[in-house]
Amino acid sequence: MAKIEELREEARRLLRDGKVKYIIGYGTGRDGWRAVPIFIRQPEEADRLIWNPTCVHNLSRFLADEKRRQAREKKPDRRPVGIVVKGCDSRAIVVLLQEKFIRRDDLVVLGVSCEKTGVIDEDKLTDKLKGKKPEKIEFGDQGEFIVAAGNEKIAVSAGELLAERCRECRANFPVIYDFLTGEKSPRPVERPFGSIERMEALSSEERWAFWKNELEKCIRCYACRSVCPMCYCDECVVDSISLAVTADTTAEEKAQKIKWVQKSPEISENFVYHLVRAIHLGGRCIDCGECERACPLEIPLRFLNKKLEKEAKELFGYEVGFDVSQPPLISCFRDDDPGDFIR
Amino acid sequence: MTEEFEPRIVAFLCKWCSSAGSDLAGVSRLEYPPNVVPIQVMCSGSISPLYIFSAFNKGADGVLVSGCHPGDCHYTKGNYYARRRLNLVKKLLEYIGLEPERFQMSWVSAAEGQKYTQVIKQFVEELKPLGPQTKLRRNG
Repeated sequence: MAKIEELREEARRLLRDGKVKYIIGYGTGRDGWRAVPIFIRQPEEADRLIWNPTCVHNLSRFLADEKRRQAREKKPDRRPVGIVVKGCDSRAIVVLLQEKFIRRDDLVVLGVSCEKTGVIDEDKLTDKLKGKKPEKIEFGDQGEFIVAAGNEKIAVSAGELLAERCRECRANFPVIYDFLTGEKSPRPVERPFGSIERMEALSSEERWAFWKNELEKCIRCYACRSVCPMCYCDECVVDSISLAVTADTTAEEKAQKIKWVQKSPEISENFVYHLVRAIHLGGRCIDCGECERACPLEIPLRFLNKKLEKEAKELFGYEVGFDVSQPPLISCFRDDDPGDFIR
Repeated sequence: MTEEFEPRIVAFLCKWCSSAGSDLAGVSRLEYPPNVVPIQVMCSGSISPLYIFSAFNKGADGVLVSGCHPGDCHYTKGNYYARRRLNLVKKLLEYIGLEPERFQMSWVSAAEGQKYTQVIKQFVEELKPLGPQTKLRRNG
């Protein structure tokens, strides 16, 4: 069992010794049961850290913000940042390290192991409780969830509430860490790409109908992009307004700027946006499922990104986010890469 | 009488091999279908997946990417990068339900004018039964 006391103690020590400037972790939200990201700077605040099945967020997203903040400041505090990570989040950090976006020395990684379980899918919990308001959710000793709601405590098997991504997760403990609480016991996953295989079994027309139906809903709020730890580009190709418009950009230059994607949420434009995002995440997405969780229209974006993770593994034998020393997927090649689709 | 559907193909040709190959087909007076809009790029490795999505978005019925044979790249390894990246693009387009025939890739050297015409002929033959590409096309 991952022990929150161990984590708090370590956080307290790091902050007291001034080893880190702050720690990004999980705290209790204002509704009393959901976890929210918190930033703690004082040793006394370490007690605010929590670890429970609602810690769904991938906090490595905040590392991009930290990097920008440092670049802006005149005299930045160069001490490392502490960050609490689950197995999936640690893979995101591995990818960021592979891309040399962040430096290992700038991080103190506080790992927590999900062990036999993972985090919950809130929709499943709502269905399970049939309208009752949850008050607290904890990990049980046997890999179940203990849900407290309406004066009673019920044990729910992990399978019932676990987020879909957690059921296909191959990293139930952090792959990179400076401190770890919980066991490092690998959990067998029968079909890590089961959901994708089900999609692939459909006919081409059925898949088209599925994606058309889903992406038609997209309102282009870009929540998926904002929440994604991999979407850290300073300028996004789909924002034609943000494409390097400076004070001396002439009107003519602006008019002639290539608009790759229109801003209007039409289906054709939505497809270009989501395809571009998927391909940019190819070999980088570690399936933290944040895009899907943040999506207000519940578009199953995981299915797009996970597909490329599967292809990376099958075509190129590339496992995303496990090995810091390997180069990123599309900035390397092998002489014997498959080319059977080429005439 | 209805007119036969003529597909429009956007072909990204690398300057050093495929573009020269298409030139060779031209100067050799080889006949091939006029359905291609060739776009010369410096290297097949310089083709962003966005070019391909954008071509479909703007109404291409098929997209061809053609570069030097492996080992022949003017920049030594651009086509190897292209092979890896565009394989992913092809898989992704198939996955969302676009007909797999609509995106093709070929290696055509500067000496292979004949092969270039073959690639185009075959591509056009494959696209004709599919009809216009409307899935990713922008309306209006």
